[in-house]
Amino acid sequence: MIRDFLAHLDTLLLWGFAACAFVSASLMLVLRQPMRVALALVSCMVFLGGVYGLLGVHFIAAFQVLIYVGAVMVFMVYAIMLLDPRDESATAKYSKLLWPGIIGFALLAEALAVGYWNDLPHAPRGALGEPFDIARFSTAFLTEYWLHFELTSVLLLVAVVAALAVIQENRRHERG
Amino acid sequence: MIADLVIALLFIGYAISVLMGFGTILTWVERKQAAVMSDRIGANRAYIRIPFTQVKLVWWGLFHGMADGLKMLLKEDFKPRTYDWYAYAVAPWVVFTPVLLVFAVVPFGGNLTPAALWAPLGEWFGDKSYPMQIARLDAGLLIVFAFSGLTIIGAMLAGWSSSNKFSLLGALRAGSQMISYELVLGLTVLGLILIYGTVDLDAMVRHQSGTVLGFLPAWGIVYQPFAATLFLAAAIAENKRIPFDLPEAESELIAGYFTEYSAMKMGLFMFAEFIEIAIIGALFTTLFLGGYNLPWMSDAGFALPGGAAVAMPHGAVVVTQLGTFLLKVFVVCSFQILIRWTLPRFRYDQVLTFAWKFMLPLAVANLCVTAVAVWWIRS
Repeated sequence: MIRDFLAHLDTLLLWGFAACAFVSASLMLVLRQPMRVALALVSCMVFLGGVYGLLGVHFIAAFQVLIYVGAVMVFMVYAIMLLDPRDESATAKYSKLLWPGIIGFALLAEALAVGYWNDLPHAPRGALGEPFDIARFSTAFLTEYWLHFELTSVLLLVAVVAALAVIQENRRHERG
Repeated sequence: MIADLVIALLFIGYAISVLMGFGTILTWVERKQAAVMSDRIGANRAYIRIPFTQVKLVWWGLFHGMADGLKMLLKEDFKPRTYDWYAYAVAPWVVFTPVLLVFAVVPFGGNLTPAALWAPLGEWFGDKSYPMQIARLDAGLLIVFAFSGLTIIGAMLAGWSSSNKFSLLGALRAGSQMISYELVLGLTVLGLILIYGTVDLDAMVRHQSGTVLGFLPAWGIVYQPFAATLFLAAAIAENKRIPFDLPEAESELIAGYFTEYSAMKMGLFMFAEFIEIAIIGALFTTLFLGGYNLPWMSDAGFALPGGAAVAMPHGAVVVTQLGTFLLKVFVVCSFQILIRWTLPRFRYDQVLTFAWKFMLPLAVANLCVTAVAVWWIRS
């Protein structure tokens, strides 16, 4: 009994984390109040980190939590806290599109299940070969993928410049 | 497989009881050390009277912790009429849980071989050996930073959801201060990662059981004395204690971001702060003070600088390592409390200037020097 449970503990935890991630992702979509949406996103990312950890890539899990929660979400929570959006328009508990969204999602899930689920290859357990540890990750990152990474950072820079430009445009309107 | 589970549960139980024990003891150490430093007698009024006798056990005021705990449990659990009760309720746990989780990757001892400890255990465990650490992960140090980043969200959530101006100001201060000092904290340990070539905390500790220059123990503080100082300062700032306690400065903000919390909810914030003192002690010990090993000691025993080697039985090694780790953590904790009762509070702009204009450049400079030195020595 305990032996069976332990043998399948990984799978159970994986399903648990996946289900929690799914639930918090859906909550992020349907909730209205900004801080709760942010909290749902935080928990979704933490659970996704759990999924990565169970797949054996602990440093990806660490980066997931470190960068998305520790940096990105901290700034979002900071911004929500400063803006303090307690206006009455956001008091509806759920989005108005809750039911259309659920129906649409159910249709999409069914289409995917019918069309693709059976054709998916089953990943054999333990067939990953040597573990993808941080040394292998760093080598691959700095030899093969550095250009992709740099391009992404340039993209982020463009976004920052664009945001500044938008603010400047608004200020000019206010002055003139 | 069940043996593995038993060992894992044993380690988890040990880690939680060590952290809770430190959290409780440190509340007493803080009072008693403050009293010693300011030449007072200090906390000595709480006592337990043995029933039907006049014998009062005072024990240097150790029972004050118990009185505190009872008081927090029995006080009224005040609930403010807040805009978001959910965030208000969840915030103390978001602060408290990650602090405990950080300890999962900290090694508190070397390898444990149950069969070598006591022969009958060998029938059950075989000749398996377990590293004394809850989770042996290759991303060790990254996990530490990932979890400690979560507490920032908890502090901001608590201040925002309390519907109180003082709380909101405290949360603002907590957010900006912790973000700034986490950056410094990360940069100071990068030099160590360069030297050891790993982020696995257990591998770092093993690396530190050698010697430098033939006689000095190869501790992180010997390689990186500068980074050690910066790390400790940034860690104390991260923990929001005096001289960096601006988010909860009582003369300005009542109690800052947890002003509206009472009873055990407030106790969770306080307890998380004290446990974090122990966590900082554990991290500093692991990174800079040779972890669970005494100088020149490894799992096999002592290898003294003169070339003499002293072999030790496995049981003695395990007990020595566990004890050494606790002792080192306690010394670092006591040092943090020494700083807390020595320095006055910064002004708020000084705290952020200190982080960005003083500590960050120093940490970067330390990293550059280390990188050049490592490159020069290896090539």
